Amino acid sequence: MLNLPRWQVIGIIAITALAALFALPNLLPGSVLDKLPAWYQASRINLGLDLRGGAHFLLEVDLRSVLNERLTNLSDSARGELRKQQIGFKDVTVQNGTSVEVVLRDASQRNKAIEALRTVDPSLQIGGDGDTIQIAFSNQDLVRRKKEVIDQSIEILRRRVDETGTIEPTITREGDDRILLQVPGIKDTTDLKQKINQTAKLTFHLVNEEVAQAGQNIPATLPPTTFLAPTREGMQALRLANPKAYEQITTANPRMSPEQVCRRFQPPCLPVFKRIVVGGEDLDDAKATFESQQQGGRPIISFTFNSAGGRAFCAATRANIGKRLAIQLDSEIISAPVVQSAICGGSGIITGQFTPQQTQEQALLLRSGALPATLTIIEERTVGADLGADAIHAGALAAVVGTILVILFMLFVYGPLFGGFASLAMLVNLLLVLAGMSLLGASLTLPGIAGLVLTVGMSVDSNVLIYERVREERENGRSAFSALATGYDRALTAVIDSNLTALIAGVLLFGMGSGPIKGFATSLTLGLLTHLFTATVFTRMLLAVWVRWRRPTELPV
Amino acid sequence: MLWKPHHLIRKRTSFDFLGKRKIALVLSSVVNLAALVGVFVFGLNFGIDFQGGIAIQVRAKQGQVQLDALRSELGNLGVGEVTLQEFGDKSTALVRVQRQEGNAECVAHADAVMKRRAGNGWSVKPGPDSKTGDVDFTAPSTLDGAGWRDAVSQVGLTLQERQVPRANSNTARIDMSLEQRAEWCQQVAIKVVDDTIKDRYEIRSTESVGPKVGGELMQSGIWAVVATLGAIAVYVWFRFEWQFGVGALIALLHDVLSTVGIFVLFHLDFSLTALAALLTIAGYSVNDTVVIFDRVRENMRRYKKMGLIELLNFSINETLARTIMTAGTVFVAVLALVLFGGPVLYSFSIAMLWGVIVGTYSSIWIASACLVYMKLRPEQLRLGKDDEAKAKA
Repeated sequence: MLNLPRWQVIGIIAITALAALFALPNLLPGSVLDKLPAWYQASRINLGLDLRGGAHFLLEVDLRSVLNERLTNLSDSARGELRKQQIGFKDVTVQNGTSVEVVLRDASQRNKAIEALRTVDPSLQIGGDGDTIQIAFSNQDLVRRKKEVIDQSIEILRRRVDETGTIEPTITREGDDRILLQVPGIKDTTDLKQKINQTAKLTFHLVNEEVAQAGQNIPATLPPTTFLAPTREGMQALRLANPKAYEQITTANPRMSPEQVCRRFQPPCLPVFKRIVVGGEDLDDAKATFESQQQGGRPIISFTFNSAGGRAFCAATRANIGKRLAIQLDSEIISAPVVQSAICGGSGIITGQFTPQQTQEQALLLRSGALPATLTIIEERTVGADLGADAIHAGALAAVVGTILVILFMLFVYGPLFGGFASLAMLVNLLLVLAGMSLLGASLTLPGIAGLVLTVGMSVDSNVLIYERVREERENGRSAFSALATGYDRALTAVIDSNLTALIAGVLLFGMGSGPIKGFATSLTLGLLTHLFTATVFTRMLLAVWVRWRRPTELPV
Repeated sequence: MLWKPHHLIRKRTSFDFLGKRKIALVLSSVVNLAALVGVFVFGLNFGIDFQGGIAIQVRAKQGQVQLDALRSELGNLGVGEVTLQEFGDKSTALVRVQRQEGNAECVAHADAVMKRRAGNGWSVKPGPDSKTGDVDFTAPSTLDGAGWRDAVSQVGLTLQERQVPRANSNTARIDMSLEQRAEWCQQVAIKVVDDTIKDRYEIRSTESVGPKVGGELMQSGIWAVVATLGAIAVYVWFRFEWQFGVGALIALLHDVLSTVGIFVLFHLDFSLTALAALLTIAGYSVNDTVVIFDRVRENMRRYKKMGLIELLNFSINETLARTIMTAGTVFVAVLALVLFGGPVLYSFSIAMLWGVIVGTYSSIWIASACLVYMKLRPEQLRLGKDDEAKAKA
C-alpha cells in the first residue's frame, strides 16, 4: 500500500500543481494579477451577487394569456375563412383556453368547412362530430410556440437590459415557464424595471423610390414626408470600419436620430416615408422557414399579423406592388424586401438571398419588437455593492481564522510532521475546490464561503482516521512500517463510506437550492469529492514518499 | 523533532457508554419532544424564503437605528405585519414585511406611490370585475405607449405590448389575474417602505419572495430533507445491514428535530440557509456514525463471542480519540464562522455549532443504542474481507 510507483507520484504532483495554477488567480492581490496575461486572469471564480452586489429577479412568463390570445386570433381567422367560402355557421367560440369550437348551420358542409379551416393553418388538430368542429393547436406547435415565447422574452430582456453591452447580465430559462435575470453591480432596480419596459420599436415604412432612384446615398434635401435611416448591414460595416464612430452613436445622449446618423457618418442609408404602414405591436409571429421544393426550397421568413395589422398591411401592399417595404427596428432598417403582390389574410413571407442562419436572425429581430407575454416578478433579491464588500470581508476573515485554528489543532495533536502532512493535504484540498469552481464556472457566494470553511474542518478527518488507526496499530505492537501500512488500509473503508454518505446530503442540497444555497452546495460537494482524492491519493503519496526516504523505525505521531 | 505529538486521550479508554443508554434515551426524548411542542406552540421563525414576504436591510445614515420608533412607523403603513431586528451592529436593521395579499388595500398603496413618484394627477384603482386582478390607471394627461411603460414601472409593473393602450390615452386597464396581482403587490409594498424611510436610511439589500415561490420553496425544502435522510439510510443499509440503516435514520431524525428545536429556542431565522444547515448536519452526523459502524462491523467479525453491548462500548472507545479530534476541528472551523462570518451566516453557524455536538452525541447514544434494541447478532452480518481471508486459510 505504501509502495507507490514513480509515475503515480509524478501524476499526483502534476495534478496538484495544475490545481494550484488554476486556483492562484483567486488568491493573488489585484496589483499582481494585473501584470499577468488576460486569459489567466479570466480563470478567476465568479463572485455571486451576494458578494458582488447586484440584482436577481425570477420572472414568470404568462404563457396562458399568450395561448388565449392565439386562440382568439384563430377564432377570428376561422370566422373570416368560413365567411369567404360561404359556409354558414351558428357560432365560433374559444373553449376554456384549449381549443376553438365551430358550430355549423348545416352538418353536411362539415368536410368543406374542415378544408377551409385547414387553409388557416395546416398543422391544426381538427376533431368533433356532426355540426360541431373542434380546432386546436397541435402539441408540437404548442411546444414550439412556448419555446419561442420564452426565447423571445430572453432575447428582448437581453437587448433592453444590456443596451450598451457592458452590463453582462445572466439571463437563463428556469423550469417550465420562468426566466432568471441576474444583473451584477446595479443599485437602483426602478431603473432596471424601466429598462425592461422599454420596447424596441419595430415599424414598417414604404421606401420613397423616387428619392432612392436618384442614386445618391445621402441626398442633400429630402421631401418633408421622407427621412433617412441606415441599414443594419451598413451599421455593422461601420462598426467594423470605424468602431469609435459606432461607439459615439450608441452612447450619444440625447440619442441621435437615424437621419443624423446618416448625415454625420454616411453609412448606406435608405429614404423611407415617415408614415408608419403597420407597427411591430401588430406582428404576432415571425419564423424562419423554407419555401416549398417546387419554388426552389430557399430559406425564407414567414410572418403573421393580428387582424388590425393584417388589414393595414393588405391595403398598403395592394397599392404598392413593386416597391420596397422597409422594416425598421429602433433606428436601423433590418430589411427592405420588394412587395411582390398584395399580402392579405394576415400572413406573408420575405424572400431574398438568405442563408438559413440569416433567416433565423431576421425572424428573431422581427420578433424582438414586442414582449410576447407579461413577465411577473415572483422573486427579487438585490444586494448593494458595499454590503457585498462587507460580506466578502467577513467571509474571508472567517475562512482564514478557521483554517489557521484547524492547522494549529492538527499540529498540536499530531506533531509538526504528521500534523504538517494533514495540513498540507487540507490546503491542497482547498486549492482543488477553488480550481474546480474556476473550471466549472461556478459562482462563489457567502454560503459558499461557509461551505469552504466546513470543508476545511471536515477534510482533515481522513488524516485523523488514518493517524488514530496508526496509533492503535502501534499500541498493538506492530512495527512502525507495518503500523502505518495497516493503519492506512483499515482506515480507508471508513474514509470512503463516511465521505460518500455526507456527499448524498450535498448533492440533494444542490438539486433543490437556488442562488446562494447552490453556491453552498457546490463548494461543499466539490470539497467532499476533492477530499476523496486528497485522502486516498495525496496523503498516501506523502506517507509513501516519507517512508521510502526516512525508513522510519519510530513514528512521530 | 520540534515538539512531540499530544495524545488527547492518554490510554485506551473503557467508558461504559451504552450503560447510560437509558439516561440518554430519556434525555433525547425530552429534548425532541420539547422541540416538537415548541414548533407547534411557538412556531418557527420562518424567513421570507418559505413564507413569502419582504426583507430589507437598512443602515441609518446617521447614528443608530431607532428600532421602536421605526417599528411603529412602519407598522402603521398598512402593509401588514412588520418586524424589525438589529442586524450585525447598532446602525443596521433588518425590516421584514409579511407576504402581501393582492387586495384593494394594495391598490390603494399603489395609488399613493404613483402620486408620490409620478405626480398628483395620477390615480390607480381596482378594475370593476372583482374576480380578476385588473387595475385601472388614470394619467393626468394623454400618454403614448412609451410614456405608459415608463410611468407604470414606477410601481414595479412590466407591461406586455398588448396591455399598453393603443391610441394615445389617459386611462389604461392593466389586466392581471388575482395571483399576478398578489405578486405585484410585493413590489408595491417595497416601494411603500422605500418611500417612507429612504431619507433617513440607506437601503443595503432588498429581498422579496412572492407567495408562489414561497410555497414552492417550502415544499422542495421538506422534500430535500426527507430525500436526504432516506437516501442516507438506504446507503447505510446497502453498505452495512438494515439494522445499521435504521439506526442511522433514527439518529438523523433526532439530530434534525433537535436542531429545529434550537431554531425555536433562540428564535433564529429559519430560511434557506437554515435548511442548508439541517442537511449539512445530517451529512456530518452520518459521517460520524458511519465511522463507528465501520468499527463495530469489523469488531463483530473479529470477536464473535463478545456480548453486543460490550462490543459496542469497545468499538466506541476505540474510535473515541478520532471522534473527539474530528468534532474538534469542525467545531473550531464553525466557531470562526460564528465569530467572524457576519450576520447573514449567523443562524446557519449557530445551528452548525449545535449540529456538531448533537451529531457526535447521536452517533454514540442513538445510532449505536438502536443496534442494542434491534439485538444485532454477528451471524446477521454479510461476509466481509476478513471472513474470506479466514476461509481461504
